[in-house]
Amino acid sequence: MEQEFTLTTELRGDCLIIATAGYVNNVGGESIAREFAGHFENGIKKVIVNLGQSKVVNSIGLSFLIDIVDQLNDAGGKLIFTNLDPAVDKMLTIMGLFQFAGKESSVDDALKEFFV
Amino acid sequence: MRTESDIPGTTQRPMERLAGQIGTFQDRFEVLAKALSLKEMARLFAGMLSSHFQEIEITLFHNAIPGKGWQQLFGGAAGDPGEAFGSIDERRFAMRYLDGEQRRASVVQPLLDRSLLGMFLSPRKVAFRFAEEDKVSLQLFGQLFASAYQPLLHRRNEKELVFSLNHRVLQLNSLIDTGIEVSKLTHEGSLPQLALERAASLTNASRGVLIVSGKDQPAERYSFPASDALGVDNDSERRIQTSFQFFDTTYTFQLYDKESRSGFIVFDETDRLLLDALTRQVHASLENRYLLQEAIDKQKIERDIAVAASIQQRILPESLPALTGYDIFGTNIPTKSVGGDYYDCIPLADGRVALVVADVAGKGIPAALLVSSFHAYLNAYLENSLPLVKLAQRLNSVICKASTEDKFITAFLALLDPTTGRMESLSAGHNPVYLVKRDRTIQELNNGGVALGMLDMEFPFSTDEVVVEPGERLFLYTDGLTEAMNAEQELYDNIRSVKEFVSNKTSPSAKQFIQEMIADVREFVGTAPQADDITVLYLVRQ
Repeated sequence: MEQEFTLTTELRGDCLIIATAGYVNNVGGESIAREFAGHFENGIKKVIVNLGQSKVVNSIGLSFLIDIVDQLNDAGGKLIFTNLDPAVDKMLTIMGLFQFAGKESSVDDALKEFFV
Repeated sequence: MRTESDIPGTTQRPMERLAGQIGTFQDRFEVLAKALSLKEMARLFAGMLSSHFQEIEITLFHNAIPGKGWQQLFGGAAGDPGEAFGSIDERRFAMRYLDGEQRRASVVQPLLDRSLLGMFLSPRKVAFRFAEEDKVSLQLFGQLFASAYQPLLHRRNEKELVFSLNHRVLQLNSLIDTGIEVSKLTHEGSLPQLALERAASLTNASRGVLIVSGKDQPAERYSFPASDALGVDNDSERRIQTSFQFFDTTYTFQLYDKESRSGFIVFDETDRLLLDALTRQVHASLENRYLLQEAIDKQKIERDIAVAASIQQRILPESLPALTGYDIFGTNIPTKSVGGDYYDCIPLADGRVALVVADVAGKGIPAALLVSSFHAYLNAYLENSLPLVKLAQRLNSVICKASTEDKFITAFLALLDPTTGRMESLSAGHNPVYLVKRDRTIQELNNGGVALGMLDMEFPFSTDEVVVEPGERLFLYTDGLTEAMNAEQELYDNIRSVKEFVSNKTSPSAKQFIQEMIADVREFVGTAPQADDITVLYLVRQ
């Protein structure tokens, strides 16, 4: 069963890596958005969101992710999702997120995508 | 653009200054209308205001829901927006001065979606004062923002509509996926938890609780997300729930606190439909799993029965021994794949043969097990050349010990000396055996006693002693023959009389006699199902 939401962040150069665990709902989405906003104000425009430990995302959590994608796209940046559970992958696909955001199987692959 | 000569106190007339601004509004509208977000639009708008009011500092706010807090969109610190924009009429443009010298002002512009744009204006230069035409300019700027806000609003609404439609597709898709997932047989105990997880996420519930309560056991609780707090809240405003019963177990699914970006909202009818649909899938899956297990168990029992039938078929004789001067044939037709009837003709060491027909009360596996015991003990005791009464008493004792109270065996046991035709027989609660004389009269052999296994005591069995003369016939059978029933619930023996058939019918061989008798029974029974095992043994002394 899915755990309570937790989040960790890491900066690699000018790339922000956010790794989540647990239910990405309103609380989870807000946490991600807050973490993102702090770095975005400092000019970070490359973001990786590792959802490997989040098997369940609801549409409120998703709306926060969409906001982040929008902000990054407006600023000429990019977000890449990684380590997606098949159910979450399907959800993001149906919701049309991959028209505006990237998807890689691992954080390393996403970093390569950013720094090639 | 406002020039130095446009500022209050210069010589240009107000109407001329305003007329100069009109031409640029269309260009400004086009710029603002292309903004992708409210913040971007505010930034652009602030730039336009700054170029017009060069002496003032601008801070912009947005109030999405009148009465609630203001969000700063652009500019530096501007004090308390609640104070700056307090007590305003939310339906029309409003400007008020925040000091007696008309140097600081707040402006509120209503927008299409009933939200409000707030402008806080403070002077950069000490000498600045707002003039009357500045109020008109600000009103025009407010209108400009409100007009440009509409395309942004339409795009946002369009985006929300697409999001909402995609979410509906997602809900349907998840419903189908969950149906497939829960119908998989690999989930075992996690199946209801999986449904709870899906229901919570599809309805945007903050959390869910599953309570599994059995008849005589404490309720088990699972929560989503997993946490130590498994409490159940009885506030029905914040909760939807549904439950179903599967045998003695009740599954209750509860979802709490529907989320939105602006706080908790009330669950709607779609949420209830989704929760019901998911729990129905779980219920159906549990039922299917139960039925599948039942079918597997049934198959296993059928396999066991087939094995038992195969063992029993080996107990029944494949063919009877050839007796010089006699023609003998027997058959057994069980109702189920294993039955409770038995017959045999067993040669003894002293040259005699034992003729046996037996019938266990009941059918199926228990009856077949008792027949196996009877067969084993009978053969063991026959090797010891026990007298017939002693043989019956021993059999009675062991069957009594080997069976339950409701299980017993009726049996006809006879020891025949083929050379002389002398035969001693004993009927342990069995149907009378017919000895058909040459003149076709019938002597019934029914001396004996109670069925074997009924009473654990040395019952004083009695016997018949006869001589089977040449041309005489002996007919042994079980009650499955006499009680064969047709569709009208009539018994074969009541309508056609076994005794008369045996008396009147003669055939070239014992085998043919029995085939003709079975054919007659089948013709009588017709399409009615066979009610009991049928066993017959027929011996003709030539």
